[in-house]
Amino acid sequence: MKFAVIQFPGSNCDIDLYEALHTVCGADVEYVPSKESSLDGFDAVMLPGGFSYGDYLRAGAIARFTNIMPAIVKMANEGKPVFGTCNGFQILTEAGLLPGALKRNDSLKFVCKTVELEVVNNDTIFTSEYQRGEKINLPIAHADGSFYADEATLKELEDNHQVVFRYSKENPNGSLHDIAGITNKRGNVLGMMPHPERAVEALLGNTDGLRLFKSILDHAEVKA
Amino acid sequence: MTTVRIYVTYKQSVFDPQGEAITNSIHSLGHDEVQSVKVGKFFDVVIDPSKKAVEESVKEISEELLVNFNMETYTYKVLEEK
Repeated sequence: MKFAVIQFPGSNCDIDLYEALHTVCGADVEYVPSKESSLDGFDAVMLPGGFSYGDYLRAGAIARFTNIMPAIVKMANEGKPVFGTCNGFQILTEAGLLPGALKRNDSLKFVCKTVELEVVNNDTIFTSEYQRGEKINLPIAHADGSFYADEATLKELEDNHQVVFRYSKENPNGSLHDIAGITNKRGNVLGMMPHPERAVEALLGNTDGLRLFKSILDHAEVKA
Repeated sequence: MTTVRIYVTYKQSVFDPQGEAITNSIHSLGHDEVQSVKVGKFFDVVIDPSKKAVEESVKEISEELLVNFNMETYTYKVLEEK
């Protein structure tokens, strides 16, 4: 299974994602600059955190126009794993691959700390290594992470079990329904504000993010 | 050329944390007459009306890029025609 880590101008968590997959999981992974237009030969695509295009207009809004986006949409439509963390999540909503939007935190502050999450749905290709209802801790680092969607969309997300992670002890940003991560209806596109790639080694103080990457790799093995 | 100012704000139903913080600050100044403040942004767009109808152009660029309809809405006015 081969992963692509997309590098947009302004991405700054691309190396973290790459190393989580390459060094920690021993996976086959390559950087792909957003000016490229093909993802042929890749089985999964990862969108890193950061500030693509300086968050101009809205976080993630400009990255949608990069050359690589049609290839990412194609992979999503083919049912391949597409994952976005932080700015990657914002890009996936702006590109219409995930519903809703991420707006300014209610506190107006950039929040950088470790928060407790509940794994709401472990029946996905990204979370099969977790227990349903399990509490995990992951770092967050964002100013625009307040998930917003209208009532009808929220109901649809809940009814289809698309809410995968919820903030459990405290809601750090004002997200509706305490939403920290969602999938698309098909379940192959996951966006989340927390950073699992920053919690993959004991040396980092936390390994709760590791099983997310293991889940994707397990899924590939089962399929093969 | 026609200059159009497009205003983008959160929808009525969406919490505007900046607006609330500014309202609180205004109240701290003693301006109890101010009930609320809503924060938005505007874009001054210069359009060549011989290439496309201004109204159509504004609608398209707003809906395709300037506005995220999940949380935002927009209005516009023509500032200058020459």
